[in-house]
Amino acid sequence: MSEKALQIENLVKRYPTGVEALRSVSLDIESGDFFGLLGPNGAGKSTLIHCTTGLAQPTSGTIEVYGHDAIKNYAEARQAVGLAPQEPNLDWFLTVEETLEYHAGYFGMPKRERRERVGELLEIFSLVEKRDERTRTLSGGMKRRLLLARALMHKPPLLILDEPTAGVDIELRLELWHYVQRINQEGTTILLTTHYLEEAEQLCNRIAFINDGQIAAQGSSAELARDYGVNSLEDAYLELVGRKELSRSRAEELASS
Amino acid sequence: MSAAQIRFLTLWRREVNRFMKIKKQTLGAPLLETFLYISVFGAALGSRIKELHGFEYIIFVIPGLIMMAWATNAFANNSSSILQQKFQGAIHDQLSSPASPLELLLAFCLGGFMRGLLVAALTFVAASILVDLPVEHILVLIPALFLVGFFFANLGVLIGVRAEQFDDVALAQTFVLQPLIFLGGVFYSAALLPQPFETLTRLNPVYYMIGLVRYGFLGYSESSVAVALLALTGATAALFLFNLRLFSSGYRLRS
Repeated sequence: MSEKALQIENLVKRYPTGVEALRSVSLDIESGDFFGLLGPNGAGKSTLIHCTTGLAQPTSGTIEVYGHDAIKNYAEARQAVGLAPQEPNLDWFLTVEETLEYHAGYFGMPKRERRERVGELLEIFSLVEKRDERTRTLSGGMKRRLLLARALMHKPPLLILDEPTAGVDIELRLELWHYVQRINQEGTTILLTTHYLEEAEQLCNRIAFINDGQIAAQGSSAELARDYGVNSLEDAYLELVGRKELSRSRAEELASS
Repeated sequence: MSAAQIRFLTLWRREVNRFMKIKKQTLGAPLLETFLYISVFGAALGSRIKELHGFEYIIFVIPGLIMMAWATNAFANNSSSILQQKFQGAIHDQLSSPASPLELLLAFCLGGFMRGLLVAALTFVAASILVDLPVEHILVLIPALFLVGFFFANLGVLIGVRAEQFDDVALAQTFVLQPLIFLGGVFYSAALLPQPFETLTRLNPVYYMIGLVRYGFLGYSESSVAVALLALTGATAALFLFNLRLFSSGYRLRS
């Protein structure tokens, strides 16, 4: 039996305003998976991620990261997770190098190991020349690279990427794809949220649809298409959000008839 | 060094690094401000007032200025650091780390505490060059200053956590902290005030903090040193525990 990287059971998140962002969500991600979480804006993707990483407090339900309860044993659970958030949340006062160095320190990494890892990641993400620059001076693409590098600093076995390629150019997107595919092959479990369906199709071996705070369906891209009785992941997604009139295959059928 | 020690030191180092990067604003400006107070109240007013309770006016004022420097800087540092990080979202990096609420709170507190300590120490050195400042009761002075610094560092954390915009911090600083300090007897002795101002001054908790520091330097006090020290210890502990509860519950930090 394979180890579970993330196990979520009956997770409910209700905000003080009364809004129920997550409604009894249950989800299993196996170690080594490249898991895609797809859904429209406001579906609950980021809330689920925030509950997993300690940025939001679940109302009820359980979350386990590699067997560690994310509430009771939060230190062990958070140690196992790296998060590259949707919105760049970099400290403007810090340089690129300091951003990585401090992050590793928060995760208890010793100095020598920190230095080596910083050098390694600056190299991988082509940030060497920017190492002494303050983060506020970086371009959007550079900030994305830094966010990903920061998430990887403490070598987490579970990497959460919340819309990592939103607003980045094609070159960087492909670069990021190659890198995350490589680390996934090397054993890192990845949870990816994205609005680019081709990205999910290309990268993920398993995908879940989330809508209105609930998991609507999950499986491989082909299984999801089959479940919705359509030919592609895109059409399955359009079925999910109730916009099948936007389907490209349907438009092609109409054009040819 | 254990992982927990590395974590705590990094959190604290980040806070110190933040204010050291903008030294002109965080250390230079408060020092200039204190120097201006010494000039105006010491040189200008001091030549008229001459003595207060047997001390040169400038010497009577300096202990309060040192306390004020520590208090305002500890407060300003923490309130603005936390709000700024909340504003940028950068605090998420610390909140999603394995750091405990206690580690996070202590690191934030000690950041402001250090800034206050540096400004107060530089003020002391500068004052000692200008006048002959005595230190009569060092065993009262050190705990009193440390408690004042830690109390205001915690107050800064509380305001920073509660604040949702920069106006909230400015409001607390301008309309609560500054009046309490200015009307707490930094520049005068409550015993010389007419009623009801004397009683009003004695109702101000900052008055007892200034009294403690002044006693440490000059050996002069208008109130019970032991009671003031005990009350300050209790208030600091209570505020710290309250903040710890906020950090543990994630109030305005975690959604």
